[in-house]
Amino acid sequence: MKFRLERDVLADAVAWTARTLPSRPTVPVLAGLRLDASDGTVTFSSFDYEVSGRVSVEGEVADPGTALISGKLLADIARSLPAKPVEFSADSSKVVITCGSARFTLVTLPVEEYPELPQLPSASGTVDGTTFAEAVGQVAVAAGRDDMLPTLTGIRIEIDGETVTLGATDRYRLAVREITWNPVRPDLTGVALVPARTLVDAAKTLASAGDVTLALGGESDDSLIGLAGGGRHTTSRLIDGEWVPNYRRLFPTEIATVARIEIDSLVDSVKRVALVAERNTPVRLAFGDGQLVLEAGSGEDAQASEALPAQVDGPGIATGFNPSYLLDGLQALGTPFVHMSFTDTPMKPVVIQGIDSLEGEPSSGYRYLAMPIRLSS
Amino acid sequence: MNGASDAAGMADMVGTAGMTSTTSASNANRGNGTSVWDAVVGQPIVPALQQTVADASASLDGAPSGSMTHAWLFTGPPGSGRSVAAKAFAAALQCDSGGCGTCAECTDVRNGTHPDVAALVTEGLSIKISQVRELVPKAALRPARGRWQIVIVEDADRLGEDAADALLLSVEEPPDRTVWMLCAPTAEDIAPTIRSRCRVVQLRTPPSDAVATYLSTTEGIDKRTATFAARAAQGHIGRARALATDENARSRREEVLKLPFALDDLRQCLDAAASLVDAAKADAERHCDALDAREVDELKRALGAESTGRKPRNMDAAVKELEREQKLRRTRVQRDSIDRALIDVLALYRDVLMLQLGVRTELINDEMRASLDRLARNSRAESTLRRMEAIGQAREALMANAAPLLTLESMALTLREG
Repeated sequence: MKFRLERDVLADAVAWTARTLPSRPTVPVLAGLRLDASDGTVTFSSFDYEVSGRVSVEGEVADPGTALISGKLLADIARSLPAKPVEFSADSSKVVITCGSARFTLVTLPVEEYPELPQLPSASGTVDGTTFAEAVGQVAVAAGRDDMLPTLTGIRIEIDGETVTLGATDRYRLAVREITWNPVRPDLTGVALVPARTLVDAAKTLASAGDVTLALGGESDDSLIGLAGGGRHTTSRLIDGEWVPNYRRLFPTEIATVARIEIDSLVDSVKRVALVAERNTPVRLAFGDGQLVLEAGSGEDAQASEALPAQVDGPGIATGFNPSYLLDGLQALGTPFVHMSFTDTPMKPVVIQGIDSLEGEPSSGYRYLAMPIRLSS
Repeated sequence: MNGASDAAGMADMVGTAGMTSTTSASNANRGNGTSVWDAVVGQPIVPALQQTVADASASLDGAPSGSMTHAWLFTGPPGSGRSVAAKAFAAALQCDSGGCGTCAECTDVRNGTHPDVAALVTEGLSIKISQVRELVPKAALRPARGRWQIVIVEDADRLGEDAADALLLSVEEPPDRTVWMLCAPTAEDIAPTIRSRCRVVQLRTPPSDAVATYLSTTEGIDKRTATFAARAAQGHIGRARALATDENARSRREEVLKLPFALDDLRQCLDAAASLVDAAKADAERHCDALDAREVDELKRALGAESTGRKPRNMDAAVKELEREQKLRRTRVQRDSIDRALIDVLALYRDVLMLQLGVRTELINDEMRASLDRLARNSRAESTLRRMEAIGQAREALMANAAPLLTLESMALTLREG
């Protein structure tokens, strides 16, 4: 095997494929990165039985072939090479990398023991990479982080014709985002539960690729999800099991009070007041009369309070939230103002949505629902 | 008392099979794979499991699940092949034709590279909660190859209380396609909360002749050696394999069996205890030194050592962690080696007791009949029983982390007194 690549192309390709490699592989070969050179194309691939990554780039291939070498090391090397063409040449036991006057010799791993990468399922449609990455990032904040409750560590992707609905929850909050996309068939439907960490990472690294292809396989092969864009392909195993059944019904329909507030100042205030909120105690919010009063701490302990201007429509309401859950939602909105809607009881969840102006109505497809903490008074 | 559980998994590992994947693969391959069930020796329950595999296969096509369920507990005495049976069951469930032994599914399960079969094997003394935390998310995955997502926990009796709790939720309500398989000597070794969720598959000690036949047909060992090994191993397949194939294991056993004949004074008793501990250390060195070095080597190579120019990041941490695990394994190998020796001595006194009571039954150590006769004549059945009791107590004490040398010295003194 012998080929030559531009340094930047190599560094990009290797950094992307090597990012999912385990630092302590269960089987030694899984720490490897596979190189395939043929016909003017060099392909880099990685796989850990759960996530696979593959990227193809153009290169001058003098001698086609295959080799498996330590991925993390190659990534380190590729990053630090001078900006000159990089030449790879391999014999049966070694790969020699030459770049300018730098020269590295890497031991190869047994490529014949390397597992076969899963095929990308058949394409379901395409979505704008930036929109998708934004949407995934917005819902991921609500995904559970407790590995002992695996179904909640996933992001649910639901496809219904031209709408893709992403959802995540950890039982205390629920984030849902709807986006439109171009399905291969207008009547396409499907549901998949994808590990949140994997999806966030994949979506982020594909964001700049323009159109991203989503591949859910449909009925025939529903064991994997595939994402592809800009020459990069990635697949991930799916989580099995029941997600929140009928989650749409969790959003209250009877809205009594709506508050509109500027996000930046609200975020700052919550952070400040939360400084005295002990673990698992709420930041209390009292809405009414053109202002919002935030309070935290109680009794003998440290206390804080702060008032903010707010546009409140409807009867005043006092409720409390875990400050970090509140902040997660507010910071995911990506708009200058927040639209918070309450029912007539402080025990029901708040729904947070983004608005562009204090007079605006929420339009983007993102909704963040947070459960209140019962106030002890 | 299930002190014997120790020797179970480890004898397989330390013997010739499990430790290196290449050996175990080639061993299994030699069977020419008419079926994955060939490796399950002398177990009348196999047809029932095969029926379950058929039911399970039908349920994938929408039929009722029949005898298939989502959590299984394989129990049986050490050496009965609990994890072998669980693996065979796993392969049969993944295989299109019920465990042909030759297709990619069967081969991958055997080699431990099947994406839908996760196995938790502990080489240490207990299963850590962190290991369970890594396993639970795997149990929640949808099968990548479309049949079942299988999670095997070998040595589930080594689950600590908190590790068992961590496992409970997932064993209780796994996704539709997930199957848990736990292995333990007896159902009582598993927390009742988990046990009650499992269907128990009870294995028995395979009869000696079944083990002998297995060794000679599957592993190509000559009939005489196979018969001797099967009898001496008392139905423990892994141990029988070791005795049949490993000269060293045989001579170690011979040494151990000399012990009851050399307990004349205090000095000899202390020497005997010391020699058992030393031999265990030597065993551990023999089994672990090369293996440890090779594992470190493989890990380093995978992370890119030996290459010129740059030292890979994270390598030291990864190697340190591996070495920590290896140290635990060494402790366990030593402990298991002592336990195995004690079982051999126990079997010898059992033979003596049989002679003293005039029971006409096959002697485990038939080849040393003359010496056994002598021992039987020179003592009474009561003292033989007391000696056996002392060995049992020593095994239990060792299980409970007692200092090996002290325990064995005390045992040797009781053996002398009778």
